[in-house]
Amino acid sequence: MSRFYRRRKYCKFTAEGIDYIDYKDLDTLKAYVTETGKIVPSRITGTKAKYQRQLSTAIKQARYLALIPYTDSHQ
Amino acid sequence: MRHYEIVFLVHPDQSEQVPAMIDRYKATISEGKGVIHRLEDWGRRQLAYPINKIHKAHYVLMNVECGQDVMDELTNAFKFNDAVIRNLVIRRDEAITEESILSKNKDRDERRAAERNTNTENDTQDDAEEDTAEETEE
Repeated sequence: MSRFYRRRKYCKFTAEGIDYIDYKDLDTLKAYVTETGKIVPSRITGTKAKYQRQLSTAIKQARYLALIPYTDSHQ
Repeated sequence: MRHYEIVFLVHPDQSEQVPAMIDRYKATISEGKGVIHRLEDWGRRQLAYPINKIHKAHYVLMNVECGQDVMDELTNAFKFNDAVIRNLVIRRDEAITEESILSKNKDRDERRAAERNTNTENDTQDDAEEDTAEETEE
């Protein structure tokens, strides 16, 4: 039996009681995208569904304004 | 009247026009009896990816309370202004007046850069000033 101890997933936004995820908060958004620019699924990050929806809209708005990239292979 | 958050990107070559554009938009908003709750000029920022072969753009953020007719006018102005390369309008629930995180970060970066410059300057001056400074302290 090889059982690894895995750190318990938790939702940062629930823990901090955030009511709006801002598309301008690039440091937070960057924590939830991969190096290739994809949005990390909530099953990996443990984000609650309510916040995952907000997060995805925020990331998409930030992408549209060229604050964060869509992919790592631009141009 | 609803609350909106507007961000628009201006072509870097037309950066000088930004204050004039802001004044024009302010005028249209106040004519329609709207209120501007927050106005931020983020200056020229590096784009995360090139848009129309441009790598930098001038960002402006506005939080506005206005009616539909004013909003239509503004979006129309953005559409037909060639200097505006992108714009985003979001409906918000209340007036937001505090400084946004991005402009805060920008200020912090600028302050750091300024500190760095003054530090390097001070290093050269320190030796000369040290003696006088110690005397005045006593």
